[in-house]
Amino acid sequence: MSGSKIALYTALGACAVLMLTPLVWLIAATSKGPDDLFHYLFFAPRVSGYNFEQLFTQIPYVRFMVNSIFVAGATVLVQLFFSSLGGFALAKYEFKGKKLIMVLMLATMMIPAQVMLAPMYELIYAMGLVDSYLGLIIPGAVSVFGMFLFRQSMLHLPDDLLQAGRIDGCTELRLYWDVVLPVSRPMIGAFCLISFMGSWNNFLWPQIVLHHQDRFTLPIGLNQMVGLYAQDYGSMMAGTFLAVVPVVILFFILQKEFIGGLTAGAVKG
Amino acid sequence: MADRTLEDMLPFGKAPALILLITVSAGFYLAFHPVSEQRATMRFWTFARNHSVPYQKATPSFEAKHPGTTLDVQLVHGEAVTSRLRAAFWADLDVPDLVEVEISRAGSFFRGPPEDMGFIDLMPILRSTGYYDRIVKTRFAPYTNKGKIYGLPHDVHPVMLAYRRDLFEAAGIDVEQIRTWEDFVRVGQQITVPGERYMIELSDSGAHHYEMFLFQRDGGYFDAEGRLTMDDETALETLLFFIPLVAGEGRIASDLGSGRVFTQAVEQGYFLSFVCPDWRSKVAETDIPRMHGKMALMPLPAVASGGRRTSTWGGTMLGITKACPNPELAWQVAEHMYFDKAELAVRFRETNILPPLKDAWEHPAFDEERAYWSGQPLGRLYANLADEVPPQYASPLVETAKSKMSGVISACAVYYRENGEAGFEDFALTRLAEAAAEVRRYMRRNPY
Amino acid sequence: MRSLLFRLQHRYAPYLFVAPFVVLFLVFTLYPLVKSIQLSFYITNGPKSQIFVGLENFRFLYGDPAFHQAVWNTCIYACGSVFLQLPLSLGLALLLNSNMVRWRDFFRFTFFSPHLVGQVFVAVLFSVIFIPKFGLLNRVLHSLFDVAIDTKWLGNPDLVMPALILTSLWMYVGFNMIYFLAALQGVDRSLYEAAQVDGAGPFKQFLHVTLPGIRGVAVFVAVLSTIGSFQLFELPYVMLNNTAGPDNSGLTVVMYLYQNGFVAGDLGYASAIGWTLTFAVLVISLVQMRLSGTWKTED
Repeated sequence: MSGSKIALYTALGACAVLMLTPLVWLIAATSKGPDDLFHYLFFAPRVSGYNFEQLFTQIPYVRFMVNSIFVAGATVLVQLFFSSLGGFALAKYEFKGKKLIMVLMLATMMIPAQVMLAPMYELIYAMGLVDSYLGLIIPGAVSVFGMFLFRQSMLHLPDDLLQAGRIDGCTELRLYWDVVLPVSRPMIGAFCLISFMGSWNNFLWPQIVLHHQDRFTLPIGLNQMVGLYAQDYGSMMAGTFLAVVPVVILFFILQKEFIGGLTAGAVKG
Repeated sequence: MADRTLEDMLPFGKAPALILLITVSAGFYLAFHPVSEQRATMRFWTFARNHSVPYQKATPSFEAKHPGTTLDVQLVHGEAVTSRLRAAFWADLDVPDLVEVEISRAGSFFRGPPEDMGFIDLMPILRSTGYYDRIVKTRFAPYTNKGKIYGLPHDVHPVMLAYRRDLFEAAGIDVEQIRTWEDFVRVGQQITVPGERYMIELSDSGAHHYEMFLFQRDGGYFDAEGRLTMDDETALETLLFFIPLVAGEGRIASDLGSGRVFTQAVEQGYFLSFVCPDWRSKVAETDIPRMHGKMALMPLPAVASGGRRTSTWGGTMLGITKACPNPELAWQVAEHMYFDKAELAVRFRETNILPPLKDAWEHPAFDEERAYWSGQPLGRLYANLADEVPPQYASPLVETAKSKMSGVISACAVYYRENGEAGFEDFALTRLAEAAAEVRRYMRRNPY
Repeated sequence: MRSLLFRLQHRYAPYLFVAPFVVLFLVFTLYPLVKSIQLSFYITNGPKSQIFVGLENFRFLYGDPAFHQAVWNTCIYACGSVFLQLPLSLGLALLLNSNMVRWRDFFRFTFFSPHLVGQVFVAVLFSVIFIPKFGLLNRVLHSLFDVAIDTKWLGNPDLVMPALILTSLWMYVGFNMIYFLAALQGVDRSLYEAAQVDGAGPFKQFLHVTLPGIRGVAVFVAVLSTIGSFQLFELPYVMLNNTAGPDNSGLTVVMYLYQNGFVAGDLGYASAIGWTLTFAVLVISLVQMRLSGTWKTED
């Protein structure tokens, strides 16, 4: 191997170790019983299933996982539809107020959520959506970030394609559904992953909106293990580890689409 | 001509199809396991799992005693309970009937005029039922405002010192001889080896240990009338005593910063002792299991001979909201959850937390010898100190005062490290006054 | 008739398409925002008691030393994010983009994985890693570089910000790297060849081909990073055990907002803080984009 190759792999390897070490620590922590949890830095000489046992008996973990999957999945689908629609409009149409809308979009991304917590809670309550899945999905139905992403990728759509469709008598909506979306497949893939991850780890708003334990999503449910006086670290680590698994699986399945989508959308920026 | 690939069948790509699949599956699961909605008669919010679990266990017996009523105990995560409660009070909706609030957040609900207070005054019912005299009185102080009591104390949280009995014995230290802080410091200076072994775990950058010393001396951030006392003489005295313990040559204390996990520090004798309120003893038992049988508890050394040998750290209150349509029933819930002696004994065994109901301590559970603590009767030790627990007074600005205080402590520790005693008293006084002035600035904004 | 409908729907389609955003914006953003602006002119003292004070909240805010500290901390963090993190992400992307690399998928996943676990968990994880003497970081630093083993990170006011920046570096470098990687792969290879023919070495190529080629994404990532770092709250709050750290060294603007609004109970003051922050970030972002000519590249 050439010198520069060695250097390259060393650099990459070192970074990889840095990235992975805390995660290895996490996995090690899930396998240590309470006696060993803080006694050994990484792995203990013996493996214990205690943490996972605790996890599934102390809290309805499976229920939390299903709740998270449902809310995240529904959010992704809804966001996908509305954001791609909006992105399409911003990319391929000229209309009054377009600049204003884009500035407003940017502004929404900057507002710290905490400021709006109390008024939003009152609003959701007035709408009867408190303590419901809809109360989580509806406020997040449009992803501004997604609109930007889709706009970026749809800018490169050849206009002739759209014109041809219109000449054939397609309505704009038909165009969107039959022409634009299929061509935007890569960006759809990328966005699905990003959106899923965002919803999966969401904590602040669900914590306020959801009341009944049966509706809790994973981040809230897991936090229950962090008690006032004592923290059940072992189970919390086990829970966190399991919570990462679906996202990792999704990432593996969609990795190619994810990268491809960002590439296609990022060209010429 | 070519077979239809998977790609062809999914016009929008793998991703949405996959997500649709899992969402629908999850949806089916949820449809078949609907949330059991009940319009409960009484709603009770709490924020700690080790509270909600016993309350939920005690719910069936409550419902049996009061047929026709249903009790819903909800666990709401710590920070959410205060934000949700605040949002609920503010918008006047969805307010629970009973709610537990942690001591550091309780004062913030006293901001406005008394008529706007979201909790009801419990003093009348405490007096008429006679509970007022059966509960450790100082524990009402943090939840009292302008003479009205807004919260039932959940606990007492007396503070003792947990120490490595085996290492003390090996070093020839006789715990009975350590009666004042002077004794303690003397022993500490003999035994501390900087970098290897410290007599006690104390923080030089946060106020949570300092304030225990402050309370022990009858000081506090605020007094009973809500006046700021964080810069009074007692505070200065405490500061002048505390800083040399944690900084500079001759210090006997160190800490690990975040203070969460110090298992290895205790196992390796890096800390020979640490401040131990009743709840922390259970944390020790859980997090440092290998020290089973090697630990013991001693009362805090007194400030002066014959003085108070304990302090306090933490607390929770139970309040009944004004929005509750049936305060008598709510009181029944509170009584059932907080004052059932058999139940309290069971909880004590599980959490080591001493209830504030004095006659509950007669139960044999409080005299049980604990093997972890070298056979000491943990309950009795804490119960004996309960009457000496100093009062803490509430204010919406306690957390602000605390964070300013942590700045003072950090700055003083740095100064002391560099200059020792030279000019230290003046420096500390100035810093204290500055911090207090900043808190007073906040106080001026609130006319109540 | 059909033709009229057709023309109508063609004309109004874009409005329809952005309607969901607009509706949601009006209901879930504008309304709470207006309410909170309203609130910012009051001191909130309790459920029903609000005292109108006009601009007093803002006046108090601008003179408040704790707020200044929060702003300073947040700016340091933002600078660390943009000027440390982004070059690192770019560097990693460049490394990974090289032709010589096999197992690219593995590395890509590895670098991205820290981002998967969520802020709260990272905070807990790193608060344990930063423990002096017994924590992972100190042990490693001590054995490799002979750093004092009881160096306090989260207990030392001077080291809290560096610790936070380090933590977020770990969490976000891989995430931003993915964007840069995608951008790099979109740069036309022929441009490199042309540059080489012109005699440009690798560094010159980087300056004149790579950087301009990824400019759009770089600006995008920079703006996102800036916005995100100004909203920093959960990470330091959980790491510092629900406090602002020794001497407020970990206090960020949003943390300050939270402390005043939800811990101390003055929602009005919190709204004033929130509004000031939003406004500031908006201005900064617009400046960032103006400077990089984003608005122009649209045509």
